[in-house]
Amino acid sequence: MTIEPMRLTVVTETNSAKRLRKRIFSVVAHVLLISASIVMLYPLLWMLSASFRPENEIFNATSLWPSSWSLDAYFRGWNGLRVSFGTFFINSFIISILSVIGNVAACSMAAFAFARLEFRGRRFWFAMMLMTLMLPYQVTLIPQYVLFLNLGWVNTTLPLVVPKFLAADAFFIFLMVQFFRGIPKELDEAAVMDGCSPWRVYWKIMLPLSTPVLATAAIFTFIWTWDDFFGPLIYLSDMRQYTVMLGLRSFTDSTGLSDYGGLFAMSVLSLVPIFLFFLFFQRLLIEGIATTGMKR
Amino acid sequence: MATSVVLQKIVKAYGEVQVVHGVDLTIEPGEFTVFVGPSGCGKSTLLRMIAGLEPITGGDLIIDGQRLNDVPAAKRGIAMVFQSYALYPHMSVYQNLAFGLETAKLPKAEIAVRVQRAAEILRIEPLLQRKPKQLSGGQRQRVAIGRAIVREPKIFLFDEPLSNLDAELRVQMRVEIAKLHNDLGNTMIYVTHDQVEAMTMADKIVVLRAGVIEQAGPPLELYNNPRNIFVAGFIGSPKMNFLKANIEGSDATSTRLATSTDVFTLPRPTSGAAGSAATLGVRPEHITITPGSGLKLADVRVDLVENLGGQTLLYTTAADGQTLTIMLEGQLQVELGSTVTAHIDPARLHIFNAEGNAI
Ligand SMILES: Nc1ncnc2c1ncn2[C@@H]1O[C@H](COP(=O)(O)OP(=O)(O)OP(=O)(O)O)[C@@H](O)[C@H]1O
Ligand SMILES: [Mg+2]
Repeated sequence: MTIEPMRLTVVTETNSAKRLRKRIFSVVAHVLLISASIVMLYPLLWMLSASFRPENEIFNATSLWPSSWSLDAYFRGWNGLRVSFGTFFINSFIISILSVIGNVAACSMAAFAFARLEFRGRRFWFAMMLMTLMLPYQVTLIPQYVLFLNLGWVNTTLPLVVPKFLAADAFFIFLMVQFFRGIPKELDEAAVMDGCSPWRVYWKIMLPLSTPVLATAAIFTFIWTWDDFFGPLIYLSDMRQYTVMLGLRSFTDSTGLSDYGGLFAMSVLSLVPIFLFFLFFQRLLIEGIATTGMKR
Repeated sequence: MATSVVLQKIVKAYGEVQVVHGVDLTIEPGEFTVFVGPSGCGKSTLLRMIAGLEPITGGDLIIDGQRLNDVPAAKRGIAMVFQSYALYPHMSVYQNLAFGLETAKLPKAEIAVRVQRAAEILRIEPLLQRKPKQLSGGQRQRVAIGRAIVREPKIFLFDEPLSNLDAELRVQMRVEIAKLHNDLGNTMIYVTHDQVEAMTMADKIVVLRAGVIEQAGPPLELYNNPRNIFVAGFIGSPKMNFLKANIEGSDATSTRLATSTDVFTLPRPTSGAAGSAATLGVRPEHITITPGSGLKLADVRVDLVENLGGQTLLYTTAADGQTLTIMLEGQLQVELGSTVTAHIDPARLHIFNAEGNAI
């Protein structure tokens, strides 16, 4: 009887101590996280503010907040080169969109074959495909260049787009194979009993159930193609074919007298499509995940 | 009209491993055939070979007189209902039913009529616009069956279609499938673990073990005249009791048998040699404890009593330690630990030789 209250106070003491420790932990964690995100975001914010500043203020400003706002740099940047930036955007769009279509279509077909079809040497070819994942880009660069040179494709966008339609991206194939393997085999079999050819199984059953992985592939293909600098640099030499990334580089080369304001303004603009693309396809990611919880 | 299925020396091997060893079976047109057997005995494999989902390693599959070994699944005129239902999760119930017909390029109007009719038969009309995940287990099962019905196949295959349902629903769906068979008259092949399903639904039961048929025949034939110990133990619930015995001798009209506690004479001949070991098979429901009602089998001690309402189950042990399950009609009060005497009608006693075959 007399012990009861004592025990109670002990309990409350440890409880408040626990709560205090939790709060300290929470504060420390937030401080760490916030400072980390500032480190991450600072360059972006700096670029954003630089694009709106007067040119002379860019490298000697003390605050992130511009003393005066102007869209000058955007107009200068857009028309600052021999070719308008609009052309670069169109080029980038064509290459990126075609790459997305090619990658999603071709990789999903290849993945379907690896995941579901029986053919001679399937394991061998799958292993070969995975091996190409381990080759660094730089190793295949020169043979590829020679190949495209012989095909007469250098100075065209073909080397940047055609490989995407040939399921050249082992990473996405692998990703999709893993996803397809997670779809119950009985669904295919039911479709086969319903009279479907492999093509129809792929088109009517597999693809609709794979939106999350298809959206993932689309997002990353878009970002990587849009941001690709090396590929266009090697294969494109005519400025009218330049992509946005090559265009940005052109602000700083040759003359040595660079228009940094224009560069930063166009850099900001170059982020917009990626942002929009992600925003749109990310919805599919979530939707897809929500609809795959199928059995029971 | 209905379709016959003939399996001749059907063999299935996965690589080096042979899992079905030469199955011979004739399924008459319109017959409801049930495959039963322990897990891994090859029921699903056999069914999938008939469906065309699994290539046949050896032997012939003959449907309506035609060898169909190499005909693709879609062209065999067979529909299959899967254990997991395998409904297309991204399609509505209507689309699930219509999918096979769309694949066959039927006109839209015809599809609508057939889907409607199947939905009426299975009473799923109010569900047609729902997605599979918005259905209960029993409703999904109906849709899965509906998907088979709309195609108007020659043969229906079911692979443990009711095993994901609760007991009550299972009984209900069992009746519905039996009714469906009566109405449609199609040949149906049905795989199950559940021997009550097998007994109640089947025109013919096929008992499989380790890739071979142990016995095939009408349910009561298997119940009354099991060919061997395996079939005897598999068909019937509760399971048949097995007691060790010795054949003392036999002549043209009788057989003398000795268990460890009793010696008795059976009024029928057997082929077992005198002095050889045998196993007696006694179904729990054929044992009585009323004195004078048949041969005395043994005195047994009652270990456990289960009152099922309609019947009473006694779990007992004989003096030599062998167990005996007794099923009695009605509700009986039996003391635990008391001794009762088990009697059996000799006509209902099964005798198996040392190899396990009925003699
Ligand atoms: N793809 C496969 N590769 C190798 N062996 C397999 C394969 N599929 C089935 N088997 C083997 O074939 C045998 C029969 O399998 P099956 O699925 O037909 O059994 P089942 O009678 O349907 O069993 P259950 O009642 O558990 O469904 C099993 O021993 C199994 O291990
Ligand atoms: Mg099975």
